[in-house]
Amino acid sequence: MTIARVGLLIAVLAIWQIFWIRGLPDYALGPVEILRHFIAALGTRELYGHIVASLLRALPGFAIGSALGIALGLAAGTARWFDQMLSPAVFTTYPVPKIVMLPLFMLWFGIGDVSKILIIALACFYPTFINAYYGAKGTPRILVWSGLNMGAGKWRIFGRVVVPSALPLVFAGLRVSLALSFIVMFATEMINARSGLGFLIQEAENSLRFDLMYVSLLTIATLGYAGDQLLQLCRRRALAWQETGA
Amino acid sequence: MKSLRSFMLFGSVLLAWELAARSGWWNPLLFPSLAKIADEFIRFVAGADGLHETWVSLYRALGGFALAAVVGVVIGILMGRSALAAALLDPAFSGTYAVPKLALFPIFIFVFGIGSLSKVALVFLECLYPIVIITCQGARNVSPVLIWSAQNMGASRVRIFGRVVVPATVPYIFAGLRVALPVAMIVVIITEMISSADGLGYRVIYALASLQTDRMLAVVLAIALLGYVLDRALVALRGRLVYWEKLDTFYV
Repeated sequence: MTIARVGLLIAVLAIWQIFWIRGLPDYALGPVEILRHFIAALGTRELYGHIVASLLRALPGFAIGSALGIALGLAAGTARWFDQMLSPAVFTTYPVPKIVMLPLFMLWFGIGDVSKILIIALACFYPTFINAYYGAKGTPRILVWSGLNMGAGKWRIFGRVVVPSALPLVFAGLRVSLALSFIVMFATEMINARSGLGFLIQEAENSLRFDLMYVSLLTIATLGYAGDQLLQLCRRRALAWQETGA
Repeated sequence: MKSLRSFMLFGSVLLAWELAARSGWWNPLLFPSLAKIADEFIRFVAGADGLHETWVSLYRALGGFALAAVVGVVIGILMGRSALAAALLDPAFSGTYAVPKLALFPIFIFVFGIGSLSKVALVFLECLYPIVIITCQGARNVSPVLIWSAQNMGASRVRIFGRVVVPATVPYIFAGLRVALPVAMIVVIITEMISSADGLGYRVIYALASLQTDRMLAVVLAIALLGYVLDRALVALRGRLVYWEKLDTFYV
């Protein structure tokens, strides 16, 4: 099976390369060319500066947004009064594209990194909240009752029963919001920034530097993939007791 | 009591906003009063201009979404029911799942031009993932007992597909559509903010650039309402079509 997959990948790349040799428009580069430019860019200092700038926006936003989302989602999933107060507001605003708040955040917090981090945090809040909420709500009653029966206190039940049983969904939410944090980071940088990968691709587009465009694209793809794999690794560690993957 | 509590949060946010607007501590550019926003909103929605911009954004979002729904459901069912299709397509989807497809937008502009087509193409691509992944999960989860009974009663493969596999997958398809619909709105608004000369996202950036915060917030309100209404419409449609299954569509 692995051989078939690798074969398919190589076949696609080979066809692409052949098409490129036979002549494609300027904006379409062949895979070998892209790789060559990418390796060349990895040797320069400039690319790392953009990567660091981008990560310093995406990761704090992701951390703030998902920490709040998980905490409030678990709280709303367990405490009824909290649920009644918070959930309607969250669920009504869930289908609203959060990126529209960016201009307002830019007015309030300036056009620097603070507004970008806050908008990323806002976007990451929703998937983690909703998943943690359903995770906590879906805790099997029997487990809670047995815990109570054996004399566990409220907090002990929360920490030992509710949180572990919500954990698979919490990780599902984290996965969505990690991907989302990269999307929103990229969008905010394309709209307005002086550094970062989104800025790099926008600048490359404006100056018709197609090589830079693909370098930026490949970098963000690699970062997104690596972040996702890292999160999956954490999930497997944390959920070692769970047999099937969620 | 329940409705009172749910209203409390909204009410206090609005109240705090209006107080901030009236206090005079901040520039009215930062906190325009609710009355002014409402005024601009009515003017925007009632005018032919606002309707036109809404229509432009709507057909970009729904065009890409509809394409993704058709293609995604076909690929998803195929991947869920055929081991060969799953082996070939699954790496392609899971490998690129976490990659922000938005990064392809500059290339799409060169390929499809700066008009609607590049935006529709990006919406299609972003919406495809959740629909394929959740549909595939649903098609894979069809209870074998149902298929065995159908086979036992002499149903043909085509009949089993149409009468067993598809109906059992439909709740999942709707779950995927419900995840994808807000994504379609997000992508349209972002791409219109980045490069466009029309649409709601463009209006937001335009109002910001001309420092008309009240108008900007009116457009933001229109976008928010549009996202909400589309979601409600999808839920209503699902309630009609999937009356036999009370699956929560937020998460399967």
